[in-house]
Amino acid sequence: MNKNFFQSSIKDSLFTGIVALALFGPIVGLRTVAVNEALVVQPKWLVVGLIVLVCTVGRFLINIYTFKKEQRRGEASSIGKSITNFLDTKGAQIALGAVIFSVIFPFMPFADRYWMDIAIMMMTYIMLGWGLNIVIGLAGLLDLGYVAFYAVGAYSYALFAIHFGWSFWICLPLAGLFAGLFGILLGFPVLRLRGDYLAIVTLAFGEMIRILLLNWYDLTKGPDGLTGIPRPSFFGLPFKRYPDEGVETFHTFFGLEYSPMQRIIFLYYLILILALITNFFTIKIRKLPVGRAWEALREDEIACKSLGVNPRNTKLTAFAVGAMFGGFAGSFFATRQAFISPESFTFIESAIIVAIVVLGGMGSQTGVVLSTIFLIGLIEVFRDFESYRMVAFGGAMVLIMVFRPKGILATRKPTITMRKEK
Amino acid sequence: MRDNLLDVENLSMRFGGLLAIDDLSFSAKKDNITSIIGPNGAGKTTVFNCLTGFYKATSGSMFLNKDNKKLDLKKFSDFKVAQKAGVARTFQNIRLFPQMSVLENMMVAQHNKLMIASGFSILGLVNAPSFLKKEKEAIEISKYWLDIINLTNRADDNAGDLPYGDQRKLEIVRAMCINPQLLCLDEPAAGLNAKESAELNKLLLFIKNEKKTGILLIEHDMSVVMGISDHVVVLNYGKKIFEGTAKETKNSPEVIEAYLGTED
Repeated sequence: MNKNFFQSSIKDSLFTGIVALALFGPIVGLRTVAVNEALVVQPKWLVVGLIVLVCTVGRFLINIYTFKKEQRRGEASSIGKSITNFLDTKGAQIALGAVIFSVIFPFMPFADRYWMDIAIMMMTYIMLGWGLNIVIGLAGLLDLGYVAFYAVGAYSYALFAIHFGWSFWICLPLAGLFAGLFGILLGFPVLRLRGDYLAIVTLAFGEMIRILLLNWYDLTKGPDGLTGIPRPSFFGLPFKRYPDEGVETFHTFFGLEYSPMQRIIFLYYLILILALITNFFTIKIRKLPVGRAWEALREDEIACKSLGVNPRNTKLTAFAVGAMFGGFAGSFFATRQAFISPESFTFIESAIIVAIVVLGGMGSQTGVVLSTIFLIGLIEVFRDFESYRMVAFGGAMVLIMVFRPKGILATRKPTITMRKEK
Repeated sequence: MRDNLLDVENLSMRFGGLLAIDDLSFSAKKDNITSIIGPNGAGKTTVFNCLTGFYKATSGSMFLNKDNKKLDLKKFSDFKVAQKAGVARTFQNIRLFPQMSVLENMMVAQHNKLMIASGFSILGLVNAPSFLKKEKEAIEISKYWLDIINLTNRADDNAGDLPYGDQRKLEIVRAMCINPQLLCLDEPAAGLNAKESAELNKLLLFIKNEKKTGILLIEHDMSVVMGISDHVVVLNYGKKIFEGTAKETKNSPEVIEAYLGTED
């Protein structure tokens, strides 16, 4: 290591320290505390000093580390490559293992109420990720308003179930259909838009739906939300401890002790099945002409037109199919919570789903699962640290982008191969 | 005029104050290679863009003879020119789907018939035998064309990873997969070396002679133009300045003037 390099690293890390001081000094150092009904500034210079020290030393270590890494770059990238290789060659086994694990998960000894709730939430995000993967990963349409379809699914499920008393299995496809229609509704005005412009319009669409739900009081009860959404039943058998007179419940029918976990486990399997349907549908449709046309459209729209591929229909089907799965996930959300309000469908939800798809590696189904576990898992693990968990979330994103800039799994397999034919 | 594949009559295209094509008329025969040449900015690519529906011509008419029916190309908007009329084209800067495999590129070109075969995806989702049969046929067609350009062994590689010359040829055979009446090639020999452009000539002659597809060719490489063209149209500043056989073109004083300027 030459001296010149050493000097510049020290300079660089000192500069980092100054930036850290400027940033954290006012934010962390000057804390206002309420003393006798008055606000008093309480300086915390020790904490600031520690943060600045960590930043400076950390930056210095990174400088040295990356310098050394420069020399063994081949080695470092080969580790990433071998992971990707492993996931590529053993992809089928890993996927099978993951499915088996998720099927037996509720019967694991550690699977208590807390873990089941997290698992259900993760499954919902995985399903949303897979749905959005059709729009972003395959068709290449950056949709920042995906949560709108989630909301449409949830609200249409809730309204059908409350007003008409239809069962879950009737309301679910209807909710998906409605969300799909909204997908087409969004699709038409944005047909000519690409890239940034498309992202902005879809973002606005997401907000429009939320504001509509907030203000259409007669239908949606606005900010009060919809309550009393029927809980799902096991093919007509409700999960209730004290059922109404003459109604058989799940636990009496199967001769089991009543336990609130039964409903949770049922919900878990429900979202697992819905998510797997989304997954298999996507894997299958990718290999059909329409799926190939989506990917071709992502690659080059003008070339598509020159080959007679209808870009309008292709885009609209991508929006509609993606939105439909968002709607399915939304109806599951509604039936699980039994209460929905526009607050559940804010932009941050869209952002998280987009992050899951992009960080997973666009178009990769396994990547969506990995990044969901990574991102949502981190948020949950850091729950006790309150608002710091968003720091962990951001940190995770930065780490993925530094080490795998194209997403966790960025390899794409052709939808059709010649080798099989030979 | 019955045996003309394409009749362009009084075509004009205006961009604001610029008249890119000025009252252009020409025709192309079936089983013929018709070349459009001219200095840079003469409006050659604009003619293609009008023909293939990417631009809407300001005035004039374009008729394509398909199965002895006269189709007005102005009635078809962008992708329908390829889908309904059967006019295929390639681009000056290659437009493959670089992240998709060579075979997938060929399959996308057969999208419309496969889409119908897959029952708009419903039959395809349930693996209907009729769809699988059609899909197999499409693979066979792809293989047929890839064999011709010697790319069958690279069928599963990404199109973007191919050498430049192969990408050019792939774009041409991909356009052939839509079964076109007329194939419009925009500078297919650009950037090719002598051996590759000789191969290109062979491929174009094969398409013309065996497939009976009319070819409209924009080209600067005179070895290609003079070697295979049956008919040459010369443009300058959007106007047709000469039309004739390759040999006549070579000796025409107007053409020499357009390319080299006048002698004082």
